[in-house]
Amino acid sequence: MQMYLVNDIIAFLAANMILSQALGTSSLFIAAHSRKNLVGTAFCILLFTTFGTACAYIIDSALPASAAEFRLLLYTAAVSVFYIVLLTLLYSAMPQAHEKFRRYIHLSAFNCAVMGTLFTMSEKADGDSSLRSFGEYVRFGAEAGLGFIAAALILTAAYRKLNSNRVPKSFRGGPAMLIYLGIISMAVWSLK
Amino acid sequence: MNERRESVLAGITADNAVLSGLMVISPVIICGDTIKNAQALIWAFSIITFLSVLISSFVPKGLPYTVKVITYALISSTVYVPVRAAADIFYPDAIQRIGIYFPLLAVNSLIVFQTEAKFFRMGRLRMTASLFFYILGFDAVMLITALVRELLAYGTINSRIADVDMLISGLKEPFGGFILLGLMCGLYRKLRSVMSRGGSSAEEGDANVSGK
Repeated sequence: MQMYLVNDIIAFLAANMILSQALGTSSLFIAAHSRKNLVGTAFCILLFTTFGTACAYIIDSALPASAAEFRLLLYTAAVSVFYIVLLTLLYSAMPQAHEKFRRYIHLSAFNCAVMGTLFTMSEKADGDSSLRSFGEYVRFGAEAGLGFIAAALILTAAYRKLNSNRVPKSFRGGPAMLIYLGIISMAVWSLK
Repeated sequence: MNERRESVLAGITADNAVLSGLMVISPVIICGDTIKNAQALIWAFSIITFLSVLISSFVPKGLPYTVKVITYALISSTVYVPVRAAADIFYPDAIQRIGIYFPLLAVNSLIVFQTEAKFFRMGRLRMTASLFFYILGFDAVMLITALVRELLAYGTINSRIADVDMLISGLKEPFGGFILLGLMCGLYRKLRSVMSRGGSSAEEGDANVSGK
């Protein structure tokens, strides 16, 4: 039972969009800045990846292979609609929460993690037709969002140390976080 | 006059999109492992970003922020269509290798978000010059990263065998890209602080990039 759990955790980390594909790294740095940012950004990205993959399924099913270059435009249009709906809903239902959370919605909408998830799933489904189902698309979107949360938690754990005075000034912050992510990515890669 | 020139050149000298702003880093980390990939990405990024920002500058400034961001994303996604068709002709192999990172170039944060913060506060002529140098800054980082990784990971330069005794195969993997880019960011900051008169202030400028 424990072995299965360990295997599942390894598989989850190995499929992580940030550690294996570097998607959404800049947003990850913002999410790891504080707990508030982590919750806000991670929740919004989870919403966008899940809804986005649902729309991607509809677009991929309707779009002929000869018009593949229009996929980005259609994905962008779908994400844009959700972006507006989410902001409108939040504003009308909870105006105070809208003030607090709109920053994270803006940050998540056209994020590499979101658009990358849609394209990765589409590419996977092109390679394996058994994955071309609504459930598989949405499951992948939710997993990608959860993977973002996992990576953000891993970075949050070291965030203060990577930004402390003990790190040389030139490497403090961004460069140290990139190297740290590289080391974590190497560890995950070796487990594959 | 000097300050104005510096701000136009900021994309290379002081505020490189990749090394300082940590923008558009995923294509550099994942696809920047050979010069051939880098050439295709540079070509696509330069054309898409230049045209998209230029066209986006005509979007009325009075529109709500959300509408503007969506419009910029839709403009760049539209510009992507002919660029993708042309890339299929000129770089058919590289396009296959670059995969999903090609469309992701079109919705990069330099176009979608930084246009408001950086470019649209300038006059059109100055904006065009500044944009040119921001793009050049990305191109330079992409090319240097690809050169180093291809040389040390594959022992070749633009697919020609080079005389390298020891190969570091990990550099072609994503983790190699992360680590090399982290080292380059640190080096860029150090160089910038040494070259600028106000030394340490330049290093501290983006020390806490995540707080942006």
